[in-house]
Amino acid sequence: MHDLRGNRQFADRTFRWAAAGAATLVLLILGLIAITITRRSAPVLREMGTHFFTTTRWSPADRLFGALPFIWGTAFTALIALLIAVPVSLGMALFMTQVAPPRLKKPMVYLMDLLAGVPSVVFGLWGVLVLSQHFNLGRSFLTAGIILAVMIIPIIASLSREVIETTPPGDKEGALALGATRWEMICAAVFPHSAGGLVGAVMLGLGRAMGETIAAALVIGSSLGQITANPWASGNSMPAVIANEWGEADELHKSALIALALTLFVITIAVNLIATGIVQRSMKRARGL
Amino acid sequence: MSGLEATVSASEGAPPDLRAKRSWRGVKSGTMTWLMMASVVCVALPLFAVLWAVLGRGFEIAFHGFPAFFVKEIPTVARRAGPGMGPAILGTLLVTGAATIIAVPVGVLGAVYLHEYGVNNRFARLVRFMSTVMSGVPSIVMGLFIYVVWTLRFGYSAFGGSLALACLMLPVVLGSTEQMLRLVPHHLREASYALGTSKSRTILTVVLPAALPGIVSGSLLAVARAAGETAPLLFAVGAANEFNPHLFEQANTALSIQIFGNATSSFVAAQDRAWGAALTLVLLTFVITLMARAFTAHVARRR
Amino acid sequence: MRTRSTSSFALASVGAFLLLALLALLAPPYATAAGVSLNGSGSTLSKPYQEVAIEEFKKLNKGSTINYGGGGSGKGRQDLADMVVDFAGSDSPYKEADLAKVKGGEVLYFPILLGPITVSFNIPGVDSLQLSPGSIAQIFQRDIKKWNDKAIVADNPGAKLPDLDIVVAHRADGSGTTQNFTEYLNAAAKGLWKLKSGSTVEWPSDTQAGQGNGGVAQIVKSTKGAIGYVDLSDAKASGLKYARIKNLAGKFVEPTAAAASAAGDGIDIKGNLLFSALNAKGVKSYPLTCQTWVVVYAKQKDHAKGEALKAYLKFLVQDGQKLLGEIDYAPLPKALQERAAKQLDKLKVP
Repeated sequence: MHDLRGNRQFADRTFRWAAAGAATLVLLILGLIAITITRRSAPVLREMGTHFFTTTRWSPADRLFGALPFIWGTAFTALIALLIAVPVSLGMALFMTQVAPPRLKKPMVYLMDLLAGVPSVVFGLWGVLVLSQHFNLGRSFLTAGIILAVMIIPIIASLSREVIETTPPGDKEGALALGATRWEMICAAVFPHSAGGLVGAVMLGLGRAMGETIAAALVIGSSLGQITANPWASGNSMPAVIANEWGEADELHKSALIALALTLFVITIAVNLIATGIVQRSMKRARGL
Repeated sequence: MSGLEATVSASEGAPPDLRAKRSWRGVKSGTMTWLMMASVVCVALPLFAVLWAVLGRGFEIAFHGFPAFFVKEIPTVARRAGPGMGPAILGTLLVTGAATIIAVPVGVLGAVYLHEYGVNNRFARLVRFMSTVMSGVPSIVMGLFIYVVWTLRFGYSAFGGSLALACLMLPVVLGSTEQMLRLVPHHLREASYALGTSKSRTILTVVLPAALPGIVSGSLLAVARAAGETAPLLFAVGAANEFNPHLFEQANTALSIQIFGNATSSFVAAQDRAWGAALTLVLLTFVITLMARAFTAHVARRR
Repeated sequence: MRTRSTSSFALASVGAFLLLALLALLAPPYATAAGVSLNGSGSTLSKPYQEVAIEEFKKLNKGSTINYGGGGSGKGRQDLADMVVDFAGSDSPYKEADLAKVKGGEVLYFPILLGPITVSFNIPGVDSLQLSPGSIAQIFQRDIKKWNDKAIVADNPGAKLPDLDIVVAHRADGSGTTQNFTEYLNAAAKGLWKLKSGSTVEWPSDTQAGQGNGGVAQIVKSTKGAIGYVDLSDAKASGLKYARIKNLAGKFVEPTAAAASAAGDGIDIKGNLLFSALNAKGVKSYPLTCQTWVVVYAKQKDHAKGEALKAYLKFLVQDGQKLLGEIDYAPLPKALQERAAKQLDKLKVP
């Protein structure tokens, strides 16, 4: 009889190695990204040292690269986006979970998922051809913030909804039984329970807002970037600078843009990791694990 | 709660007018409910405004003289009115299709390793962590990476774009597939082992088919996101105006690239085409998302 | 246990069918180009000409594919230096320092057109405006912040200018238009213009930037009180109003193709066909006339591509020049056309 065991073991082991290889690929790619980006940032960081992050002037012609205005721009537009998006998304999530009749909820969830799929470039197109022109907002931190807000609302709203839905019904009913109004019940039962998860959802939205390139690049106004708290001013953000100046950049300039990408990379990763950690811990606690 | 305190303090003195307190609390709750409804409107308005603009401004050019817009070449002269966006649609399908063919098998296999073989060993936990990190990489960083590693060496091509998109899709496919594998009941595997089937055979013939609709759904969502990406493609695909069915040679174009390029054009004709392309892209993403939802519903019904 | 949900699968199959149908629709026009493919990028000033030229050229040479991506003169020069494109459109030559980084050796400059750069504005209620180089310089560096400033009023005797804030629009990307505009201000507003010249300039921070000539045009069109520099073709396409500018002879001239041609007469052309049409002499000359070149490597690597490039360049500098009139550009002076055609001999094809 043919010894099938040998063949089978070989096939089995090959499959296992293939699967392990696929998993390793994730590490390899990420490692390659990190190495490539860091290596290419080296020239400008060697030339400017930590001043790269603190100088406010960005002048490729003078070989002077200060990233601070763009870091500020990224942070400021993200902040504006959050200020607009968070109350609205939370309100929407609360409505979907606490107020809406069940028949209304399902299509709303469906709609939210569909809208989350609209590509960011379409939002950018709308922003530059409709929003900018009709409302005479021009190109500014505010316009970019509004577009980013519209983009991250579906993310924050659907994640918040998922978190809020893990509130134990017992807590909610207990509060209502004690005579609480709907809002009081939300404050007493829903918020304390979901606080962590909601923060996580907001931070994931923040991560997305900071990394968004195209929509922001079209409407932010991209002057050389200024550090100002005036939302009507025009400014610049890290991804927008990279997209705008890449084409004509020479070696050192490209290195500076890649260093900006590295900065953006590190900041967004940090925000995303913290957010994911918070959401996961909150969900685990909710399930009583 | 104030109502409760009022009740408690009532036992100590003159009975308070709970009705007054209740109506204030009621007003507060009612106001908050109205605010929640207002926020739904605030969300719905701009999102519908965007879709309305896309539909309104893109419908005419996209469907007038169907299927002209989808098959004709992009006019070389930007100021000339009229269709089409054929090369961009082909480009999007090519680039996204190739990315899917790369990302899905790798992602599924990787998830198989994580759930069936590695489970919770150190390597598996590292891969899971890194996958989360990778899902947070901004798409422009991915684009720069591909430019340095691929475009500088091989020039602009559709394949460079596919690589960039595959890197963006991989963590998503990995994560959602692992979730689906977790949902496959363990007794299915055990029954298979009891019959003497090897582990790999079990995975291929029992586990994966059981998880298939969920895997398809997760992958489709990744595809939908990839189809709309712009930044990575700008650094890898180039800007051609003609049909280029070759994956590896020559610059190509895609719907997202065209929308971005035409958004800043002074010529209304070019802007019109951008809206048409936006409508096409949105329809494409919607169809894919709906298909994904159909598969999810199938999974839910089965359980 | 395992029930097939017919409706969800039906939905899924309909979706798959639609996608396949789309793919099938696209199948017929796969006419694979039998010819060569050329890629170029760079100046958005010359993009309108490149577009009509490519269209005409393709009619005469079936099977050839030429793509011109735009992206700004800076991008074009960088792409050519990196050898990612076959030809670059640039409104200004390589800087000395950058020539060393060019990978493919010596480059040749082929001038292709003269184009007026307008100073476009958006002032409600004001249809015409005159500006002197000094005022322009002061406006763009934000020394003058309002439209009813005395310098502008001095340029426009009798006109009623509102008390409106000026919004300055400029380029976000590396641009030959920016370079020519700032070089003009350097020469014509000597002493007043402080920001120097280059394809990217350190504009004051309270200004707005757009991508490409089109982006700047969009800002001017949609912002009250805006002013920006846009090439004539894009300005006209966007329906913008533009100013008459005081030229070297002291006359206020409107940007037209004819005025650009007038600026082209009598310019000083060097051996390598580099020249500047800015701030030209002559009563009818438009002072902000810009020139642009197609830059290629003298030594071509590929035979088919080299020949195609030669043919396209020949078209651009000779037969294509008649297309310039209807897109509001000025053709090169006849003598320059001939010199450019002769320079084609320097293009070595293996």
